[in-house]
Amino acid sequence: MRRYRIIVPILLAALVVGLGLERAKAQAPKEVLIGILLPLTGNFASLGQQYLWSNQTVEDIVNTDYPDLNVPLGPGKGFSGLGGATMKLVVRDDQSRGDLARTLVEQLITVNKVHWIDGEGTSGNTSIIQPVVEGYGIPLSCHPCASPTLTEKGFKWFFRTGPHDRVMVDSVFQFLRDWPKHGGPTDLKTVAVFTCDNLFCQDNHKIALEHAAQSGFKVVADLTTKTGATTLASEVQRLQAANPDILFFVQYPAETAVFQADAKRAGWMPKVIATSNGAYSDQTWLEAQKKTNGGAAWLGRDPTAIDLASKKPSWKKVNEIYKKYSRGQDMGELAMRQITGMLWVADTINRAKSVDPATLAKAATETNMSPELLIIDYKGIRFNKANQNELATGVVTQIGWDGEKHTIWPWELAKQAGYTPMYPNPSWQERDAKPKPAR
Amino acid sequence: MTELAQAVVNGLQMGLLYALVAVGLAIIWGLMEMVNFAHGEFMMLGMFGAWWLSATLGWDPLVAMVPVALAIYGLGVATYSQLMRRVQRGDAFAQIFATVGLLLFLQNGVVALFTSDYRFVSDTVLARLSGVQLTVLGIKLGIPLLLAGLLALALFIVLYLLVDRTEFGLALQATSEDRDAAMLVGIRPQRMFAVAWGLGAALVGIAGVILANFFSVYPQVGLSFTVLAYAIVALGGFGSILGTLCAALLVGVVQSVTVVYLPPAFKDAFVFASYLLIGLFRPQGLFGRF
Amino acid sequence: MAASRRIALAVGLLAALAYPLFIQATGYTYFQTVGFLVFIYAMLGVGWNFIGGWAGQFDFGPCVFFATGAYTAALATVHWGWSPWLGMLAGIVVSMAICALITFPVTRLRGHYFAIATVAMWMIAQPIGATWELINGSRGLFIPFAPAKSTWEAIWTLGWGGRSKALAYYYVALLLFVLTMYLAHRVDRSKLGYYFRAVRDDQEGAEAIGIDSRVYKTAARCLTAAVFAAGGVLYGFWALAVFPDQVLEMNWSVLPMISTVLGGIGRLWGPLLGAVILIPISQVMSATLGSGPLAGRGLDVIVYGIIIMAVAAFRPSGLLSLPWARWFSRG
Repeated sequence: MRRYRIIVPILLAALVVGLGLERAKAQAPKEVLIGILLPLTGNFASLGQQYLWSNQTVEDIVNTDYPDLNVPLGPGKGFSGLGGATMKLVVRDDQSRGDLARTLVEQLITVNKVHWIDGEGTSGNTSIIQPVVEGYGIPLSCHPCASPTLTEKGFKWFFRTGPHDRVMVDSVFQFLRDWPKHGGPTDLKTVAVFTCDNLFCQDNHKIALEHAAQSGFKVVADLTTKTGATTLASEVQRLQAANPDILFFVQYPAETAVFQADAKRAGWMPKVIATSNGAYSDQTWLEAQKKTNGGAAWLGRDPTAIDLASKKPSWKKVNEIYKKYSRGQDMGELAMRQITGMLWVADTINRAKSVDPATLAKAATETNMSPELLIIDYKGIRFNKANQNELATGVVTQIGWDGEKHTIWPWELAKQAGYTPMYPNPSWQERDAKPKPAR
Repeated sequence: MTELAQAVVNGLQMGLLYALVAVGLAIIWGLMEMVNFAHGEFMMLGMFGAWWLSATLGWDPLVAMVPVALAIYGLGVATYSQLMRRVQRGDAFAQIFATVGLLLFLQNGVVALFTSDYRFVSDTVLARLSGVQLTVLGIKLGIPLLLAGLLALALFIVLYLLVDRTEFGLALQATSEDRDAAMLVGIRPQRMFAVAWGLGAALVGIAGVILANFFSVYPQVGLSFTVLAYAIVALGGFGSILGTLCAALLVGVVQSVTVVYLPPAFKDAFVFASYLLIGLFRPQGLFGRF
Repeated sequence: MAASRRIALAVGLLAALAYPLFIQATGYTYFQTVGFLVFIYAMLGVGWNFIGGWAGQFDFGPCVFFATGAYTAALATVHWGWSPWLGMLAGIVVSMAICALITFPVTRLRGHYFAIATVAMWMIAQPIGATWELINGSRGLFIPFAPAKSTWEAIWTLGWGGRSKALAYYYVALLLFVLTMYLAHRVDRSKLGYYFRAVRDDQEGAEAIGIDSRVYKTAARCLTAAVFAAGGVLYGFWALAVFPDQVLEMNWSVLPMISTVLGGIGRLWGPLLGAVILIPISQVMSATLGSGPLAGRGLDVIVYGIIIMAVAAFRPSGLLSLPWARWFSRG
């Protein structure tokens, strides 16, 4: 019993010492500490790890001299505005759990004394940490978080450089509406909405229903499935019975694979499949489709025209750096959003010439970054009153027979890309018969 | 009417796959009454084994079944002899405690080695048959799934015969019913438990290998299948292998048919609601012995 | 109670009260939050002890009541502006009512069958949480935050923000923990506790002497539900958002359970001991092995899993069964 009262204080003391050893110096720092909170294990680990690689890429770019790299802080070592101070990432894994995210962000702020927090990568957990960071008054950013609500709650310290779902889903429906005027089919009348049941999918679901109504499409089926579904055969059966022209599809890679198998078994393929993120943004799923042609003619919203962006020399150089951390995987659109956002963070710190929170926030709101410096196809970076980048618009892309994404909207960019959209969706037999881009 | 029939057939096909996942649990938990939270992780390891052998050596999952099954058998035996044997000394809850630790260890061990990416085993023998479709009386049947289901059924029959008709199986049952009495007749309980764990793990590992033909492989894949497996073993009744099979088919059909008419988000909820409903009338499951 | 025990309790309470003040001086408010988590998990562990430790039933479903508590209070605050304390009372009442209704029928099931029935309740609650428009489904229910203008108002609305929130919530969690321990202590010593243990140790024997096992199992579970509901309310206001996939997470059922098993099931102080050890360890692991160059490999969780397995293998009856701890344990 006496030992109990000795052990607990010792444990606590060890905790204080162990974590206190990581705290940083305040003004004129030699290192700028960026707190990185990500789901590196648990359900969202596949997303979190891409964001980690992206952040490591940016740390590399900032701290190393890349004289020919035309992105913020490419040339030169460290932050020139802070006398060459280096960028240091302080990474924490919240295991995809909200309570851990909430706790670790306090650790990062009060113990590690980071100057900026970037995270959490998923909209749900980011909304949990927003009030905390707002209370402590340091900048917070999440670039790939797509939920519109994140910038609608009036938080002054939260910044987002990437587009949100309202903008992105809007682009898909704009494309579908205007397609008939640009050589597309004129008989698309009905849509079925098929989404998973978590926050990200449901946000898309709500916005899609609104847009479908506005665009004059009739919603013939509206199904929400549970994430982690082991079979989607009955859902496919219902969708097939509803016979929609367009399937608006928002699911994660695992469920998308299940859907494809079940749709193939049922011999069903709607005329158009329009997606929003989910599997469409997952690099591994895209690579796997190259072996089966399973993704051909799927179209979806994309924050960037990757076929055009990847022609930029800066994109290629950044991709080489990224591949050092990602075990050879190319940058997908998620990584591109995160890298762009993180480079913006670095640029803001550099312009602020200080790590004082208020100065950082001011430099952030005054951002006006030109699109030449970006590896992604935003029109630039400039924030509106809600600290949302209003120049981050989306494009609409389609997967071709070569397994790569091609820009099909806006029409001017599509002309630049030089690709004619496929219509209708090829049948399963055609997919099997045609040559596959990869083995 | 064909809509309903198609749903029933789809459900039976999935039910056979679920049975495959559940049968390993039926031995460890149903028969030997040891709680195993890490059951899904053994399945996940089977899936990763199939993927890894396919990616590095180009082996088809049907071939990979054998080495993977043996390896996971060994893992199951080791889990018992090193961990669960000691845990048995304490409360039944300690088994939950221990296997939660095992779950965390195995799942994140795989994350450490392979990262959390989704992986696909492509170009397998079963997948190549996926273009072939059988249509019987207006109902579509996918060949690969059908074959996998038949494989599952075969394994089930083998297991049923093993447990109910061989001396070894009787010894297993005896040990689970009364450990001390079993010792008196010369059965070594620890050996029985170890083999049960090995067998249970190997079976679900084989399930993983087969499932890898159809589903993506990632470290967190265990949960979605195994939560159903628990319901299936309990619904079928503890101690009854046949019960597990019937329950699995029932679960597959319930899942499939309800979704045709009711909101799909409630898919698993309907399965579990059926469990509660049946449990009210038969508290020991469909064919439970205890 | 022996004098030495009273002194020990008093010293413990004083230490718990003083701890955050000492931390506040250093400015590392994170450690106050760790303390908050310890007390929440310990409180939930004590709550779980009612159905698990004393009534001896496998219950994986208390996270459902964690969620019903959180949602009831959140809805009350969002739609009617209720104070979270009133919301907590409402949450407890609602959760206990739901618990009684859904648990009584399934008490026919024994042992592992009952366990799966509790899992079934959780699996049914999930899609309800994800699709029910009243609670905004998966999009989550946000609790609007307005900084309180005075200390009394802050206590009434739990409306602290910024640097003082961690400190204040630590005390609220401590208060709830103390109340829960008091409840547990009284139940432990009462006839109710005696009936619970009778049902656990020998259900047929208990029924033979007229103890209706179904009623008492349900009663135990309702006490568990009440504690979890209170915990859920506290969590909701701490996070300022209630998401179904966060409050209906199996973690909320399992972590209190393993804290209690670690400390010793059925022992009054088991949950606190387990929580005091597990939570700081997982935090330290996350900060050291789960970060820096080793981040993303899940090493911290691997080590955590190994520690759990080691304790289970070498001390399956929990730490309070160790000789030096026996003085400190009960029942």
